Amino acid sequence: MTETTRTIEVNQLARVEGEGALHLAIDGGQLTAAQLRIFEPPRYFEALLRGRDCREAPDITARICGICPVAYLMSSCAAIEDLCGLSVPAPIADLRRLLYCGEWIESHVLHMFMLHLPDFLGYPDAVSMAREHGDLVRTALRIKKAGNGIVALLGGREIHPINVRIGGFYRLPTRAELAPLRDELAWALDAAEQALLPLAALDFPDFERAYTFVALRHDSEYPMGRGRLVSSDGIDLPVASYDDYLTEHHVRHSTSLHSRTAAGGVVHLGPLARYALNHDRLTPRARAAAQAAGLPPVVRNPFRSILVRGVEVVLALEEALRLIDGYVPGDTPAVAFEPRAGTGYGATEAPRGVLYHRYTVGEDGLITDAKIVAPTSVNQAVIEADLRHYVEPNLHRPDAELRAVCETAIRNYDPCISCSAHFLKLTVERR
Amino acid sequence: MHEHSLIANLLSRIDAVAREHSATRVVGVSVWIGALAHISASHFREHFEDGSRGSLAQGARLDIEVSDDPEHPQAQDILLRSVEVG
Ligand SMILES: [Zn+2]
Repeated sequence: MTETTRTIEVNQLARVEGEGALHLAIDGGQLTAAQLRIFEPPRYFEALLRGRDCREAPDITARICGICPVAYLMSSCAAIEDLCGLSVPAPIADLRRLLYCGEWIESHVLHMFMLHLPDFLGYPDAVSMAREHGDLVRTALRIKKAGNGIVALLGGREIHPINVRIGGFYRLPTRAELAPLRDELAWALDAAEQALLPLAALDFPDFERAYTFVALRHDSEYPMGRGRLVSSDGIDLPVASYDDYLTEHHVRHSTSLHSRTAAGGVVHLGPLARYALNHDRLTPRARAAAQAAGLPPVVRNPFRSILVRGVEVVLALEEALRLIDGYVPGDTPAVAFEPRAGTGYGATEAPRGVLYHRYTVGEDGLITDAKIVAPTSVNQAVIEADLRHYVEPNLHRPDAELRAVCETAIRNYDPCISCSAHFLKLTVERR
Repeated sequence: MHEHSLIANLLSRIDAVAREHSATRVVGVSVWIGALAHISASHFREHFEDGSRGSLAQGARLDIEVSDDPEHPQAQDILLRSVEVG
């Protein structure tokens, strides 16, 4: 058989399409509706999970998001472990926190410098910003890479598709394998502290709202992989009670669901919420960084989330160094367990906020029901409310400018839905 | 959450190229990932392998070049460089 192949040069852009759409209705100069529609893969994954072995849940859900796969791994492990009555020993919990630090660093730096900062400095995107601020962008990329080093080593993508499993890891790193990360993380910690100072001097819109913050809270640590669900309204619940507090409703304008409290309230997840509810759990350098950036213990201006993310980057770097220095590998990479029937609940702090998973598993260990609530879908209502308030004074502006204003407000929350420059499909109905 | 849509877009372009050249299969795909494109080569590969199942590009060799130049005019983009058809 003769093999004849031809190579065709294409050189075309691959695009992200249909991710987000915003509909604004303006009636006689008044904004009557601001409806955000987001593309939401978790729904699709919930269906995909039914009938699968519960041990597969972490690997399957990690594919939902390329910016925060660790969050999906960790929430699904937490839920299945809850179901099986499993608690992981300290060395494994520490390694998981280290892995989470890696993701926070990567994701926050990406969000801050590549997506958010161009808005404040007046560039259409990071590429044009890089032309005039090359050093800054290179510094940011290097900090991000330090986080990536952690994820690459512990997540083991090159060695194993994914190194995390229910009960622990497939393989534990040695102290000698972790040690080389140290120098770069120490450099990144100094660099992150420095990089935060010019950001603190940015001109932030004068915009504050009275949010109901919701985040995890843990006895001794700034929350990442564990804790109770708390709010600025005073709720304090185990994660298993998530569904009693936040329920999802269909809304006509979106394929995704809206989350509301039983009283119909809208909640705000993410860095501002974590920071406000856990200010007393900040690490020393993170606390100093917050102070140097002029941040009070509660920040209600969503545009300043760029600074709070920066504080969390400092915290994650400081924690990563502590965890590497204190690391003593345990005897076993994972706690043994047998799947059992029941329902398990897990929530962890993804970079963009609480990520909740719930699984029901049958006697055969197969998943019969899965629920995954991404922070973006919970925040959708609060984003719409921000948009209504923020867009109102800008209604007279042409659509192109209006879109830029809206994108800026959305980027306070999520790069997952605003990753490409100018992807947002904006429709404006003027009457 | 944007990978699904990105890969779907890429695959539809590959499909269009293959059909335009009356090809029955896609042997290789070459992509270029900008330094600011927010997706790692390994993650891209996973999604490509998932997404291409059942398409003409299933099983195709995937060559990925990752740029490290943040000042490249297309640093935020992912380019479909070429498609090898048989
Ligand atoms: Zn994500």
